[in-house]
Amino acid sequence: MPSSAEQTILARVTAIIPESELNSWEQEELVECLAPLSGHQQELILHQIAVIWPVSHSLCLAFLEAAEPALACLDPEQFAAWVRAILHCYEAQGLQEARRFMADLESHFICTLKGQSGLLLSTIKKRLDLYLRGVAGRPFVLAEATLPGTDTATIFLPRNCTFFDEDDANFLVYKLIASLQWAFVRVNLYCQEVPNEQELFRKMTQPGSGPKDEAVFLNRFFKLFARPDRAMAIYHFLQTFSALCFLQKKLPGLMADSTVYFQSVAAEGAATMEPQSLLAGEYGFLLEQLSHNRPLELPPGPWRRLCHPASWDDSGQILLDTARIYALWEEKPDQEVASPPWFQGTLQVEAAHARRLARRQEVEQQFIEALAIRILPALARKKEAALAPGATPADTPQQADSAADLSLRLPTPQNEPEETGPDHNQVVRHIRLDDEKIGLDSKLQELGREIMDDLGHLPQLYLDSAEKMAAGRSYAPHIQTAGPEGEPLLGTSLYDEWDFRRQGFRHNWCRLLEKEIQPCGGTFIATALKEQRGVIKQLKRQFEQMRSHHRFVGRQRDGDDIDLDALTEAVADQRAGLPPSERLFVRQLRDQRDIAALFLVDISSSTEGWVGKAIKEALLVMAEAMESLGDRYAIYGFSGMRRTRSEVFRVKEMDEPYTETVQGRIAALSPKEYTRMGPPIRHFSKMLATVEARVRLLIILTDGKPEDYDDYKGEYAIEDTRHALVETKNSGIHPFCITLDTKAPEYISHLFGAANYLVIDDVKKLPRRLPDMYRLLTS
Amino acid sequence: MQGKRIEEHFIDVEPYYRVQGQELTIALAAHQHTIPLLLKGPTGSGKSRFMQYLAWKLRRPLITVSCHDDLSTSDLVGRYLIRGGETVWLDGPLTLAVRHGGICYLDEIVEARKDTTVVIHPLADDRRELPIEKKGEILSAPPEFMLALSYNPGYQSVVKDLKPSTRQRFIALELTYPSPDIEAEIVQHEAGVSRQEADKLVRLAEMTRCLEDAGLQEGASTRLLIHAGTLIKSGIPPRQACKVTISEPLSDDHELVAAIDEMISSLY
Ligand SMILES: Nc1ncnc2c1ncn2[C@@H]1O[C@H](COP(=O)(O)OP(=O)(O)OP(=O)(O)O)[C@@H](O)[C@H]1O
Ligand SMILES: [Mg+2]
Repeated sequence: MPSSAEQTILARVTAIIPESELNSWEQEELVECLAPLSGHQQELILHQIAVIWPVSHSLCLAFLEAAEPALACLDPEQFAAWVRAILHCYEAQGLQEARRFMADLESHFICTLKGQSGLLLSTIKKRLDLYLRGVAGRPFVLAEATLPGTDTATIFLPRNCTFFDEDDANFLVYKLIASLQWAFVRVNLYCQEVPNEQELFRKMTQPGSGPKDEAVFLNRFFKLFARPDRAMAIYHFLQTFSALCFLQKKLPGLMADSTVYFQSVAAEGAATMEPQSLLAGEYGFLLEQLSHNRPLELPPGPWRRLCHPASWDDSGQILLDTARIYALWEEKPDQEVASPPWFQGTLQVEAAHARRLARRQEVEQQFIEALAIRILPALARKKEAALAPGATPADTPQQADSAADLSLRLPTPQNEPEETGPDHNQVVRHIRLDDEKIGLDSKLQELGREIMDDLGHLPQLYLDSAEKMAAGRSYAPHIQTAGPEGEPLLGTSLYDEWDFRRQGFRHNWCRLLEKEIQPCGGTFIATALKEQRGVIKQLKRQFEQMRSHHRFVGRQRDGDDIDLDALTEAVADQRAGLPPSERLFVRQLRDQRDIAALFLVDISSSTEGWVGKAIKEALLVMAEAMESLGDRYAIYGFSGMRRTRSEVFRVKEMDEPYTETVQGRIAALSPKEYTRMGPPIRHFSKMLATVEARVRLLIILTDGKPEDYDDYKGEYAIEDTRHALVETKNSGIHPFCITLDTKAPEYISHLFGAANYLVIDDVKKLPRRLPDMYRLLTS
Repeated sequence: MQGKRIEEHFIDVEPYYRVQGQELTIALAAHQHTIPLLLKGPTGSGKSRFMQYLAWKLRRPLITVSCHDDLSTSDLVGRYLIRGGETVWLDGPLTLAVRHGGICYLDEIVEARKDTTVVIHPLADDRRELPIEKKGEILSAPPEFMLALSYNPGYQSVVKDLKPSTRQRFIALELTYPSPDIEAEIVQHEAGVSRQEADKLVRLAEMTRCLEDAGLQEGASTRLLIHAGTLIKSGIPPRQACKVTISEPLSDDHELVAAIDEMISSLY
């Protein structure tokens, strides 16, 4: 039986977390953690639980364990900041990393508070990322890790840099280690399979040795040796030498700027490295040259004699050189290998291998898809020809349900003597579908080349898959392109969401899917147009008057035409002996409207009644009126369920002509699920921001408050929507709301601002009020 | 522009132009067969220079009009002016070029209004005539006359695009940034710097061009490299020269400018 103190705590907890979300085991755990604390501490922690629980239950439980010790050294404000940092860490890197972050309160957080953290990667990440993108010519992902390193797609850098006191100097360190990791990728840090592996390995060791079961080539190589760590150290040293040479050549300014850093590293190394240890002297030698920005050379003696840096791009040479040095070390069995300077980072052989396999798959997928699209027309033509009445009946059945007798082949020197086969120049420029030659576009050629570079050939399997995919599509294109609900998916994007309790964003929290509505036929449009005939006619007239128009101003010094009145006057003046005016022209001026509007319609299930008829009529009337006005406009619907499936439905794109298809899509609008407003607002603000117009409007039609199935409700939902609207305004777009919620005045001006909304009490008025409102807003 | 006599539009001295590919052959063929020319390409990629060179090569006067929002038909065709109480007709640049069989080059054509661009339609198809409405006259273009337009697809927004009916009257040549070798040669020639210096500038330009996916509107053009080279040549320290000629002009975004500065300091 729980004590009364425990029961009070339990009551507090269940006030924050709905009982339905909490099992008894979790309840117990929460109460147990909180019970020993003082009332004040409990309050502080409970407050944060409210923030963390909705994000992740496991994170919340982990937080409870770490909270008490943290409270011992943080004041309440710092405590809140710490929680924000935890959440940030969780969203960026996951639970594991967040646990680590909490455990390491001292170095991760207190240092930052005390200003001892040096330069944080997070503060300079953007700049470093842009820098690296330019230097490397391609983007790398920058991520935090204890030691620098790379898997060839991500570059890992430490969380902070405290090497120097000044930020600028620390930035240079970041820049150097990031550039060095790029250089490693360029000099091929992770040597890949060589075609004659066995032969190569035989040159290095006694026959028969070496593991066969190791999947990664470089590991197979290291394990040839009795002491793989030694081989690895030598190999890494050689690669570091190679990468630094590359940097000296490519980024001389960087290497000149870094001399001070290298001097300090050299001094530190001299103090800490065991001088007798292996590689200590070699690293010292490198650092000495780097400290004076002299062109790098290998250490004198055996290194120079045995190694051939000039041929390291040849597959295998650097491995042979590694083996030679290794052999030399056999005479020094007892010596330790020195730990290399920190900036060199670590080798991530497995990660790089995994990356390579992932890339291989990506490329395979892309190649197959692109190829399928490429051959689709030709394939369809052939099918059609086969099914045509003239075709022999015996042929038809097989051809209709399998593509077996059509075959996609690579050009080979045999079937195409006039062509250079793919092996000659490593580029596949076309393929053959039966007797037809199909050229590959530059993207396919590029992918093809990457595949050949990686695998040495282009597998026939890829071609077969592409053919199958294309065959599937040419039979049932609708099934292939449609999403699970039947609406074709046009794209997905991720958006942040504002959490007012922590005054910060939940990063990449919501996934938004953009879909297309399948237009529907039926009589709705014709009937509505007929019913609203009067309104439309009147609106068209009104809107026409608002169009961009040209007007003339007379009596200008120059212009498009002569101002006859002024001229007559001037001639008369002159005749009369007066000096004639020189302002004798008319100039045409334009009053350009230059407005782009996006109508965003709430089609959540609560709109059942109005999406049914009034809203569709209103959109139709609006579109008709807009056509005579000439403003650019778009129409989208939005709905969704939970943060992972916010959906927007395209009715009319910004510059899409207003056609029967668009009318059909208006007619096809139907109520869907919930109203999470943040993601669509952010999505369309982003879209509108790219539209060039003097005035950009985001007009939202809704029937109530933002609300979703999950915890997107109440204050949280209002505040996120409000924040999204602030972001919208900040990007120069005017949001405006039309709502049918008669209780709206309680919250709507908080959302949109005083004059930026209109409440309509009767949905039937909408077809008339919507265009009226637009007219007022834009004239 | 207006009031300049046609003689003044001839180019006497051979302009420096480094041919990049087939552009000269194609342009000469276009001229020979009286087909108008559309030059596409980012800023500073040598479009204007190419036209100068072409005019010199063909020994025809080159009349360039920089298009803008307020350019009217009269600005192109001509207008009546009052001189000493008399009205006199003054040919616009387009009319001038048509009359004398010159080359009329409309720079940044998308900046002009749509109602202005239509006057070139009859001139750009096989009619090759220019109606001068105000004078009730129709000018026929002699075979030497050539119409050329330029535009920069990079800036092209949905608002500013050439109508297909305009586009499809032209032979289109794309002048992008030259290959590194040729670009270095141009920089070397124009700025008078060493080949090594020019190579470095071209490398920097390539780095900035990689930022086009990351928020930079356009990377450094050949023109900027020439500016940088010229300053370096005159003794200004390279980092500073590149900052004022490259990173600062390219963007106002603090992070982008800082990142380009870092590239500069890595190279120099
Ligand atoms: N192929 C080239 N040969 C010689 N010089 C060139 C060449 N390309 C560019 N340049 C140099 O670059 C400078 C800029 O070129 P130009 O003024 O012709 O560019 P543009 O394409 O007309 O640019 P904009 O669109 O901004 O008008 C020229 O002054 C010239 O020095
Ligand atoms: Mg120009």
